[in-house]
Amino acid sequence: MSRRYDSRTTIFSPEGRLYQVEYAMEAISNAGAAIGVLAKDGVVLAAEKRVTSKLLATTKSTEKMYKIDDHVACAVAGIMADANILINTARLQAQRYTLAYQEPMPVEQLVQSLCDTKQGYTQFGGLRPFGVSFLFAGYDSNFGFQLYMSDPSGNYGGWKAAAIGANNQAAQSMLKQDYKDDITREEALQLALKVLSKTMDSTTLSAEKLELAEISLSTQGEVKYKVWSADDLNKMLLTFGITQPVEES
Amino acid sequence: SIMSYNGGVVIAMKGKGCVAIAADRRLGVRGHTVAMDFQKIFEMGPHLYVGLPGLATDTITVAQRLKFRLNMYELRENRRITPKTFASVVANLLYERRFGPYFVEPVIAGIDTKTGEPYICNTDLIGCLNEPDDFVVSGTCVEQAFGMCEALWEPDLEPLDLFETISQALVNAFDRDAMSGWGAVVHVIEKDKVTVRTVKTRMD
Repeated sequence: MSRRYDSRTTIFSPEGRLYQVEYAMEAISNAGAAIGVLAKDGVVLAAEKRVTSKLLATTKSTEKMYKIDDHVACAVAGIMADANILINTARLQAQRYTLAYQEPMPVEQLVQSLCDTKQGYTQFGGLRPFGVSFLFAGYDSNFGFQLYMSDPSGNYGGWKAAAIGANNQAAQSMLKQDYKDDITREEALQLALKVLSKTMDSTTLSAEKLELAEISLSTQGEVKYKVWSADDLNKMLLTFGITQPVEES
Repeated sequence: SIMSYNGGVVIAMKGKGCVAIAADRRLGVRGHTVAMDFQKIFEMGPHLYVGLPGLATDTITVAQRLKFRLNMYELRENRRITPKTFASVVANLLYERRFGPYFVEPVIAGIDTKTGEPYICNTDLIGCLNEPDDFVVSGTCVEQAFGMCEALWEPDLEPLDLFETISQALVNAFDRDAMSGWGAVVHVIEKDKVTVRTVKTRMD
């Protein structure tokens, strides 16, 4: 491990690696997991909340899921402070596109634009990279429903199912086994929750430790971003058999 | 004059638990009428509307830029904007261009969904807010509009009566102005619904 080449983000190591970028990814692998599954009629995002204390005030806003625009949402894994900056940047980029073209920004272009920002921090400026990975879920009229994963290097890819954060390799291989191409939204919800529950290291699972969101089309043809309430999520966990009903003693 | 190049007028009035905002539909190039379906009132929220009379290109551009700021606000704050706060956003956007302004004099009408309180206001082209309790007017026939509103308005009008009042005030005002008219559109905003009506007018 060439420690002498660590300190500057903007230079390569002799092996051709960018250590700061890799260290950023290391930070993310300790953060709460997030899983995305692409269905033929929607995209599902499920995430694990790292609830550290009973004293944390449960605000109305979410911890891992964020709306970027009416047709795009994302799940976050990594350093929350870095994530907030990038989410704001993504929101501004989406609005600037709409101001110029009077149309919603195509999902891939939004992801690419944000990744271009992230890439800048690996090549110039001398600032460290952002310690965040994203799962973007969105819809546009050209390519329908899409799921993208991006990491601190500024690299991104389109996925049918993806996982970021803690235990993401295990989650990814589980998704690879169980994913089918023509999966429906209902099945995608089940798959995402099942895989997430298996890779989380807590013994008891409940809605307080999870967040669930989906992007779908309403009956009027408008894109809808929905976040599940704690009650609905608990009911869903019971229906899918992921949690057992409380035994009456 | 730049403000009367395209022509147009917008009025808003307060009623009992409701507000109404109305505008003509003309788009002209000096004296030549070019469109009779030009939109001057824009929806900024389920119970919040802004009317932008003045130079037509600025009408469109200011509406788009306001939508930008409004979207960012709603994403960050995770809630709908209130009419009073929105008025501040409008005033701020206009004052940013203090020495090269947008040639629009906006009219804002809405209902604060939390309190049910009706709200109207208007600003000048550089963002000076005016928040009266009765009615606001803006456009090429403000003098006529002021006269009509002052004569017809009374407090606590019910939604249907408010519709009649604002329609008559608008139509009779712009009938005395060559640069406004060619149809009218009226929005009546109540706590639970918004009704949009187009009024049949003289097309000259």
